[in-house]
Amino acid sequence: MYTRDYRDLIGGGLLLLFGLFVGFHALTSYDIGTLRHMGPGMFPAWLGFVLAGIGAVIMVLGLFHPGDRIEPHYRQFIAVILGVMVFAVTVGAFGMIPAVVLLTFAAVLADDKLGVVGAVILAVVLSVLALLIFRVGLRVPLQMFKWPF
Amino acid sequence: MGFFDNLALGLSVAFSWSNLFWCFVGVTLGTFIGVLPGIGALAAVSLLLPVTFHLDPTSALVMLAGVYYGSAYGGSTASILLNLPGTPSSAVACLDGYPMSRQGRAGVALLMSALGSFIGGGIGILLMMLFSPLIVDIALRFGPAEYFTMMVLGLIAASTISTASPIKGIAMVVLGVLLGLVGSDIETGTPRLAFNLPELFDGISLVAIAMGLFGVSEVIASIKVIQSGQIDKKITFRSMIPTRDDVRRFWFPMLRGAGIGSFFGALPGTGGVIASFVAYAVEKKVSSEPERFGRGAIEGLVAPETANNAADQTAFIPTMTLGIPGSVVMALMIGAMMIHGIAPGPQLMTKNPDLFWGLIMSFWIGNVLLLVLNIPLIGVWVRVLLIPYHVLYPAVLMFVCIGVYSINNSSFDVFMVMLFGGVGYVMRLVDLQPAPLLLGFVLGPLMEENLRRAMLISRGEFIVFLQRPISAVFIVITFVLLAWALWNALPRRSRGAAESAR
Repeated sequence: MYTRDYRDLIGGGLLLLFGLFVGFHALTSYDIGTLRHMGPGMFPAWLGFVLAGIGAVIMVLGLFHPGDRIEPHYRQFIAVILGVMVFAVTVGAFGMIPAVVLLTFAAVLADDKLGVVGAVILAVVLSVLALLIFRVGLRVPLQMFKWPF
Repeated sequence: MGFFDNLALGLSVAFSWSNLFWCFVGVTLGTFIGVLPGIGALAAVSLLLPVTFHLDPTSALVMLAGVYYGSAYGGSTASILLNLPGTPSSAVACLDGYPMSRQGRAGVALLMSALGSFIGGGIGILLMMLFSPLIVDIALRFGPAEYFTMMVLGLIAASTISTASPIKGIAMVVLGVLLGLVGSDIETGTPRLAFNLPELFDGISLVAIAMGLFGVSEVIASIKVIQSGQIDKKITFRSMIPTRDDVRRFWFPMLRGAGIGSFFGALPGTGGVIASFVAYAVEKKVSSEPERFGRGAIEGLVAPETANNAADQTAFIPTMTLGIPGSVVMALMIGAMMIHGIAPGPQLMTKNPDLFWGLIMSFWIGNVLLLVLNIPLIGVWVRVLLIPYHVLYPAVLMFVCIGVYSINNSSFDVFMVMLFGGVGYVMRLVDLQPAPLLLGFVLGPLMEENLRRAMLISRGEFIVFLQRPISAVFIVITFVLLAWALWNALPRRSRGAAESAR
């Protein structure tokens, strides 16, 4: 426990920054219009500043109450995000099955419970499952394998 | 059309082979996912959204709805057998369900909770059938001003009532509305907040946001945390036979639970979770022997189970009649309708009566299927509890990635899932809830549209929102909620001081 709530300081700060960014971006880049004929910029500009205001309030209040520690699961975060990323990068060029296999290999790095053999078995099972659900079951026209070169 | 014509139409739609099939798929998946600890109805419906792109709209909604109410049945199984709630709304079922199972009465507990769920669901559906046409009659007279204030009220209610921190809930709604505005402006076509990425001109994909926030970030937070279950009990039919005493204690708690659940389900911002807690508290209050609660009292299991299933059904009332989702799952249902080009709102019942009544009648079929799935097949679900999470989560990720990719064959959408998965995890770390964000995201564009129309009609005068009586009532309630939220946001110390000063 801390005497200040750092979660609220960070969270509120991020909301403040994002709100200000959107507010100013809308004011400067889009037509604001009049209240009667509202342009594309008016609603986002208002809301951007409202969000910035609320973010500031959350930050200030965070100074006055205790909060829990922030404990990120770095390893799980990196493995899962990496898994989704390799899928996105490979699926277009190599097809679904290689993308699923690479996704599985990246994802299992988040936990120690599966060894190399386990990961290979899981990758095979998931590939078959993907084939059955999406290709056979839902008849989605996805290419299983591709060779881009 | 008369009431019975509508019923006949609904039945004919619901009993078509494809809808029957997708209803069955929906409730089976719902039970499966509800049983699995760590994946709730919200993640399940998000995960299955892409699948609905490949179905016709009625089948898609029938299936998604089945997943939703099916997960409430399945959730109680994990609560009773393992003391691990499969879904948040079945957390209360742990209190008396798990002690019953430790006393060797797991079979009775499972049977009674399935029966209670069925009857609660049934009462909820009946209420929906009776009240929807009345609400639609009123709502058809709404103009843009009423729509705008109703959406504001719905969003504020949903983000303040049942969240730990109302002010953060409101912040998330506003953020969601802003994200919903990304893409071409409806009136002028100006691309907004799109940063010259053509992929964003049509807006951020609802599926990508939902999957990132509720699928990927949930997985990151759950790995190594969720333990899979170990059960050595066998559930036999013989063990399900209730005693005469159980049956006697069953009826009144069930009816009270159904009433409480129906009420909270229909309100925005409340739902199955609150309904089940209130139902439990009420049972304990009215009981002549409250000391039995927490030690395997059947009333303490039946009432909340009935309540959360009734709430799951009545939650569809505002969603289907007004187009205003009271919870995130309902927002996803509305999103699924919009994906298929169906405008949610009071005109839905008159324009797409087949979808409206077909969906309602499919609830009956789904609830009967659930009863069949949950009582005789309970052994199968017990085995599902044994699937370890370290095998499950790569499967979830696989489903997320292929699901999103299959919609447009677009790697960009998968990158968006990655982005929102990361954002969702950071939000979780700093204690910001993703649920109100999604509500804002779905309603944002509609809100802006109605606001602009209302202002055009009123020639730029804000007073229009107070001149129209219904809209004025919505505004007053909104301000009461906001005042309450502000009060709650005050630091504890000063609040304590204020209370002692009174």
